[in-house]
Amino acid sequence: MQWKRITAVAAGVMLAVAACGSPSSNSGNEAGGSGDLGGAQVKAIDATAKGPAKEIDGAKKGGTVTVLSDVTPDTFDPTNIYYTDGNQIGKLIYRALTQYKLDPASGKPTLVPDLAEDLGTKSADGLSWTFKLKKGIKYQDGSPVTAADFAYSIKRSFAHDLYDAGPTYQIQFFKDGDKYKGPYASGDNYAGVETPDDSTLVIHLAKKFDDLPFYAAFPMFTPIPKAKDTKKNYEQRPMTTGPYQVTSYTPGTELKLAKNPNWDPNTDPVRYQYPDGWDFKFAQDTIKAQRQVLASAGPDANALNYSNLDVSLLPEVKDQSQLVKGPGPCTQMYTMDARKIPLEVRKLIAKAHPTDSWRKVAGLNPSDSPPASTILPPAVPGFEKYELPGLTGTGKGAEDDAVAAEVKSELAKLGKSNFELSWYYSIDDKISTQVTQLRKQVYEKAGFKVRAIGVPKAKLRTFVGDQNAPVNIGKTPAGWCSDWPSGTSWFPVLFKSDAIELGNSVGQLQDKALDAEIDRVSAMTPDEQLKEWSKVDKMILEKYLPVVPLYYTGTNSPVGKNIGHAVNDMTQGLPEFTSIYLKQP
Amino acid sequence: MTIGQPDSTVGVQDHPASAEPVRPATVAHGKSPLRIAMDRLRKDNVAVICAVIILFFILVAVFAPLLSKIEGQDFGTFHPDLVDEYGYPTIGLTPDHWFSVEPKTGRDNFARWVYGARPSLIVAFSATVFGTIVGVVMGLLAGFLGGWVDRVISWIIDFVLSLPYLLFAIALVPIVESMRGGSFNLTPEEQASTRFFVLIFVLSFFGWAGLARIIRGEVLSLREREFVLAAKAIGVPTRQVLFKELLPNLVAPIVISASLSLPAYVTLEAGLSFLGVGLVEPIPSWGQTIANATNWFKADPIYLWLPVVGITALVLALALLGDSIRDAFDPKTRR
Repeated sequence: MQWKRITAVAAGVMLAVAACGSPSSNSGNEAGGSGDLGGAQVKAIDATAKGPAKEIDGAKKGGTVTVLSDVTPDTFDPTNIYYTDGNQIGKLIYRALTQYKLDPASGKPTLVPDLAEDLGTKSADGLSWTFKLKKGIKYQDGSPVTAADFAYSIKRSFAHDLYDAGPTYQIQFFKDGDKYKGPYASGDNYAGVETPDDSTLVIHLAKKFDDLPFYAAFPMFTPIPKAKDTKKNYEQRPMTTGPYQVTSYTPGTELKLAKNPNWDPNTDPVRYQYPDGWDFKFAQDTIKAQRQVLASAGPDANALNYSNLDVSLLPEVKDQSQLVKGPGPCTQMYTMDARKIPLEVRKLIAKAHPTDSWRKVAGLNPSDSPPASTILPPAVPGFEKYELPGLTGTGKGAEDDAVAAEVKSELAKLGKSNFELSWYYSIDDKISTQVTQLRKQVYEKAGFKVRAIGVPKAKLRTFVGDQNAPVNIGKTPAGWCSDWPSGTSWFPVLFKSDAIELGNSVGQLQDKALDAEIDRVSAMTPDEQLKEWSKVDKMILEKYLPVVPLYYTGTNSPVGKNIGHAVNDMTQGLPEFTSIYLKQP
Repeated sequence: MTIGQPDSTVGVQDHPASAEPVRPATVAHGKSPLRIAMDRLRKDNVAVICAVIILFFILVAVFAPLLSKIEGQDFGTFHPDLVDEYGYPTIGLTPDHWFSVEPKTGRDNFARWVYGARPSLIVAFSATVFGTIVGVVMGLLAGFLGGWVDRVISWIIDFVLSLPYLLFAIALVPIVESMRGGSFNLTPEEQASTRFFVLIFVLSFFGWAGLARIIRGEVLSLREREFVLAAKAIGVPTRQVLFKELLPNLVAPIVISASLSLPAYVTLEAGLSFLGVGLVEPIPSWGQTIANATNWFKADPIYLWLPVVGITALVLALALLGDSIRDAFDPKTRR
C-alpha cells in the first residue's frame, strides 16, 4: 500500500508503516540529545493530558482571521483529507481520537488524547485496541456524540472508491480491511470495530499496528453520525466537534468558519477559540497574496498565507516577526539507484554534487530549507544531528576544479570513466531545466556522461515514480514526510528490500543485514527507538549511501501584522491555526 | 499611371506635349515606383533612424558570439558564486559582467541579452520570408487562374485563418517531438531546437493566408488590365505573365505586408515564450527572461529592463519603419 502525494506546501510522500512498539507502554525514559536544528524529543506521547489548554499570554478574543491561500485543498471531508493543509484546517473543525499538542517553548509535538480519554489500550496479542471515549461531547447543533458515530466514520473510510484521496492504513491493517468496502457497498456489519457501550470503541486489527494512536490523529477518526452522512456533499455541512463550524463552503474558492458554541474547552487539551471566525480564500495569486499579507494594509493585517515565502519577496520583509519559521516533517534527497550504480561510484556522485549552487538555482531559501545531513528531519522525535564528511547539504562539489579532477581520476581508477548518469526532468518547468543544466555542466566536468530526459511536467511523476525506470538517478520518493512523528514512518518503509516492490524504495537497496537491523529496531518500544533510529540513519549513509541528503523542508510563511501567536506546527510544516489570535480584534 | 506631386519626377508630364520639360540635370527620367519609394524613405528621418536601430540589432545578433567573447563570458555557464544564498546577484555592473548576472543561476546578463536577440530575429525573419513567399504565390495563382484553383485556394485560406494559432503552437510540440526519435527521449538541446522550429513553422503557417488574400484581390483587378490582356494575346506563357507582368505591380502590398508582420512576429515570439509555449531553456530568449524577471524586478531591475528595452526598441523600430514604407509606397500620401 503506498500513497504518494505532493502536499500542498511541501513535496512529500506518505505511506504505510510497519509496526513497532506500543505507545501506551511509555517508560518515561529521557532519551535523545539535541542539535541546533531543533534537536530531539524526549517524549513522544502523553496519555494523561487534560483540557483545557493553558491560556496564551496576552491572547484576545474576537475578530476574523483571513487566510489568503494560493493553494486549494481538494476536500474538507474528514474521511478524504490527507494533504497537510487540509489536516491543519480540519484541526479547527474536527476532533479525532488523538491529537498533537505542541510544546509552548520548543514547539515539539506530543501525542495526547483528544476525544478519547487515553491513547488506547492494546490487547495482549496486539490485535485489538480499546479507546475509552470522553463523555458529554456534542456536535455544533447540540446533539450528543456517540461511540457509534466513531465506528461509522471508520466504516465510512473503507469506501475508498468514493473518498479516494484519504489515507488507507485502515485497509491494510484493520480486520477484514481488504474485504469490507464501506457502509454503502457492504452494509453496516463490519467486524473491525465494536462499541460495547456508549463510551468505548474497540478496533480489531488483521496484523499488529502499534502506531495506531498516531494514526488516530487523522481527521478520518472524527465522529460522523450516520443519519447526517450525505456522502460527497458532507463537506458542505459537516458535523463538527472542534472550536469552529462551517458556515459556508464554496469548493475551490472560499471556506467560512464561525465559532462552535457547543465546543467545550475543558475537554480539549490542544485547541483554543480566540477569533470569532475564519475566512479562507483559496486560489489566490502566490506573489500577490504574500505581498498583501506582508504589507498588512487595512484588513490585510488580519490575514496570513501558509505557503513558504517566495524567495524574490525577501527584500520586502521589513519585520522578521511577520514570518512563521520552523522545521517541517520532510527531508529532500538526491536518490541513486543502488542496483545500477556501484557504491564507489555513488560516493563519487555525492562528492561531485554541486549542492551550494544547486540550492541557489533551485531557489531555496536558507531559512525554510536548511541543509540536510541526515535522512530523518529534525521534526521527528529521536533526530540526532550528525555530519558525515561531504554529506552536509552544502559544498561546491565538482565545481571546484581540484575536486573535479580528483573525481575524474578516481572514476578512471575504478574503470568507470564516462559512467552514464541519467535522470528525468520537467521540460516545461524552468527551475527543473536550469537545475538539469547545472548538474550536467558539473558532472560532465567531473568525468561523468550525462543523459537528461525531458518529459512534460504532468507526466513527470509517472516516470520518476517507476522503481524500474531506465534511469539511475532521481527516482521518487526523493522527499519524504512523516505521517506521524516517528522513525517507524521512515526506515522500514524506505530502505527495506521489500520497499522496491511497494514502489517506495529510496535508493532501491536490497541488503539482508540492513533489513535485519531495521527489523530489530522496529521491535523496540518507542522510547528505545528514539536513539536507535538515528544510528540506523547514520549507518545507512555511511555504509550504503543510497541518497545524498539535500535539505529539510521547513515553514517560512508570511502573516499579517495583527496576527498573534503564529507558531509553526512541525507535524504538518504549516502555521498552527488553533492557537492564533488577533492582537487588536 | 499615378500622379505624383507637381514638382516630382514621376513620369507623367504636366507640360504641353510640344515642350521638352526642364529637369535638373541630376534627376533621372522615368523612375520606377520602387525607386520613388526609396527616395522618399531616404528623406524620412524616422525611417532612417529606425533602419539604423534595426541594423544595430541585426549586427548584435550576428556577432553575438564575438560580443560575448569580447566580454569574456558565455550565455550558458552558471556562476552561482556570484549570487548570494537567497539568489540575489552580489555584483553590479563590472568589467567581467557588463550587465551583471542573472539571479539564482549567475549566468551573464549581457551574453544572454545578445544571444537573446538571435531567436527573436531569426524567428521573425524566417517566418516573414516563408509567409510572404507562400502568400504571394498562392495569391497570384488564385487570382490569375480563377475557377476551381481559386475556389480551392480561397477555401484553404479561410480554413487557415479560422484555426487558433495558440492551440496549434502548444499542440504541435509533442507531435513533432514524437516524430523526432520518440517522445520523452530527447535531450534538453533537442527539445529546445524542436520548440524553435515548431515556433517558426506555426508563425509562418498562420502568416501566409492574410497576405495571400490581399494579393488575390489585387490580381483580380490587375488581370483585366490592358497590359495583361496584351501579354496574353501575344502568347506570353502564364508563368511569365505572373512574374514579369503582375508581380512588379504587387511590390507595394508585399513590402508593406512584410514590414508590418516583422514586428508582429517578434512580439508573438516573445509573448509565446513568456507564456511558456514558445522557446525553452537552454536557448536564451527575451520573452523567457521577462517572464522570469518580473518576480525580481524590485531587487534586480536591470534583469528585467534589458530584454524589455531590447524588445521595445526592436518592435518600435520595425513598426515605425513599416509605417514609413507603407507611406512611401502609397501614392495618395501627400508630403
